[in-house]
Amino acid sequence: MSATGSDPHHKRGFVDTLEETVIAVLLGAMTVITFVNVILRYVFNHSLIWGLELTLVLFAWLVILGISYAFKKTAHLGVDAIVNMLAPGTQRVMALIAAAACLIYALLLMKGAWDYWAPYAALERTSGHWFPTGFEATRDQAWYETDQIPMIGLFRWLEPLINQGEAYDKLPRVIPYFVLPFGVGLILLRIVQASWRILTGKQSSLIVSHEAEDDVERVARANEE
Amino acid sequence: MTVLLLFVMIVGFLLIGVPIAVSLGLSSIIFLLAFSETSLASVAQSLYQAMAGHYTLLAIPFFILASSFMSTGGVAKRIVRFAIACVGHMQGGLAIAGVFACMIFAALSGSSPATVVAIGSIVIAAMRQMGYTKDFAAGVICNAGTLGILIPPSIVMVVYASATDVSVGRMFLAGVIPGLLAGLLLMIAIYVMARFKNMPKGEWAGWGEIGLAFKDAFWGLMLIVIIMVGIYGVPGLTGAIFTPTEAAAVASVYAFLVATFVYRDMGPLAGRDGAAPISLLQKPQALVTALWHEDTRKTLFDAGKLTITLMFIIANALILKHVLTDEQIPQMVAEAMLSAGFGKIMFLVIVNVILLIGGQFMEPSGLIVIVAPLVFPIAIELGVDPIHLGIIMVVNMEIGMITPPVGLNLFVTSGVAGMPMMRVVKAAAPFLAVLFVFLILVTYVPFLSTWLPTLAMGPEIITK
Repeated sequence: MSATGSDPHHKRGFVDTLEETVIAVLLGAMTVITFVNVILRYVFNHSLIWGLELTLVLFAWLVILGISYAFKKTAHLGVDAIVNMLAPGTQRVMALIAAAACLIYALLLMKGAWDYWAPYAALERTSGHWFPTGFEATRDQAWYETDQIPMIGLFRWLEPLINQGEAYDKLPRVIPYFVLPFGVGLILLRIVQASWRILTGKQSSLIVSHEAEDDVERVARANEE
Repeated sequence: MTVLLLFVMIVGFLLIGVPIAVSLGLSSIIFLLAFSETSLASVAQSLYQAMAGHYTLLAIPFFILASSFMSTGGVAKRIVRFAIACVGHMQGGLAIAGVFACMIFAALSGSSPATVVAIGSIVIAAMRQMGYTKDFAAGVICNAGTLGILIPPSIVMVVYASATDVSVGRMFLAGVIPGLLAGLLLMIAIYVMARFKNMPKGEWAGWGEIGLAFKDAFWGLMLIVIIMVGIYGVPGLTGAIFTPTEAAAVASVYAFLVATFVYRDMGPLAGRDGAAPISLLQKPQALVTALWHEDTRKTLFDAGKLTITLMFIIANALILKHVLTDEQIPQMVAEAMLSAGFGKIMFLVIVNVILLIGGQFMEPSGLIVIVAPLVFPIAIELGVDPIHLGIIMVVNMEIGMITPPVGLNLFVTSGVAGMPMMRVVKAAAPFLAVLFVFLILVTYVPFLSTWLPTLAMGPEIITK
């Protein structure tokens, strides 16, 4: 396994590259912030007080945004030992039921993500226990700020919009939590697309059986050469 | 009874091919909507807080990243060379060296499949050339690879520590002696088999080769020192320097620097197509360009992707954990077991059985998140040490990885060695027996796990 650049067997479009870069940059940023904080503490006796909180926010962003990518690339782990023993026709039916389960999951989570985020954005959450039946009056939580992350100029436009013109001292929570409706929306989109591919016979399942599938394939290919 | 329905639902979803994470999450959400007042908003919040609210779990992406840099670079090759130089001349030496290399690599990485891929892709081919059968080679690596989660650092231990609020540092130390012991048992088994079947032995290349191989592998081996010294300090000199999470981040940066600038197996200085690596003096701009070089990006992305799939499962397992604790299931299970008069031994046997069965369906870290809170209160009640319980669970996971039908390491080995699953299962069976003996040993001899952490960090305080 020497240095491998881009994989020739694997065609990637612009959106793929964008998603992969976002994943790489988020993880890279988490690592660098944590590392720099350790160095600052030991060498300069100083630390970025917001470092840990920001790293944890980036961690949440990495995972929640990445889940949709993994649905797109069929990278989520599952048990395929039983399904593989079935006849192709039954397999397809099972895959469709599995896709339906994922769709329900994403739809329920979508309502939850909106309901959780909306008050922080001075918007209304939906009514209903599990099915959104409309919008209901919601106590405005747009003034909630993160504990330590500084406010940056980039988001000043939010102040007149949702905070009645008052300045934020720290980054308002509406920003880190935004990953919930956005990320879950993407998850929903990717599940709809995957379900469509299963329905049209372009894809046979939603899962891989283990985490090292890519690596194993790479080794197997290297053995053949 | 309704809880039984919950588990039936989870298993049902799993078997028809729903992703593990969705099976756990959807079943929990349906259960919550049907039997409680919990809102979907709080489920979404749990999903977010699974990452943003768990400082301990933050170690997982960093350990994965460190291990990715180490396996992308040629560190595995150097470790194998060092292992062969040390023990290759014994009867069955290459196989023993394979186990040794797996143990060293396990100390660099926190995952078993990663260990099998990194070491297996080199050692299995080498053993074939030396005249070992492919089956024997695959069996050895498949088993030795499971040490990845027992020898620290270990992702499964991080998850256990986070689920039960024990210290990650203690868990890591507790894995050291059992890890060495398991490796030793495997080596002895191989040596005995080698004597019986008269397997090939290598040439003794002399102390010089050991020195050279060590020098070559030095920068990779230093990673172990950085992690261990970072978390525990140098005895008598310094206290702990970082938290385990910070140690993991420092290890990733170190691994990046070693792979890019010292070994130059990847990044802007790597020699392409067999050419020699480029000196930094010839290309000083590499110090900066390495940060966004294609290889760096690719490694970060690979580690990110693995983090995402694991954390998606863990996050949903945490939602299930909330359901179970809300329903007071751990207390009910504890009461049922205690009133049935089960003692310590019977309890440990039951834990073993639950985990061996559960390991057939579930990814190890997700299973730990679910089972740990169920058995933890009983363990405390019965006076089982939490650290000891953790090691028992980890060893069970190891065995789960090499028992059919869904053993993770079996899949990976079958892929790496290019053999059908059933042949790998048969090949792994003799060594599986060794690990079973080891499980019994670890389960009933607690001081194997608790002696070192108590020695280094003092007696632990158990809060009920």
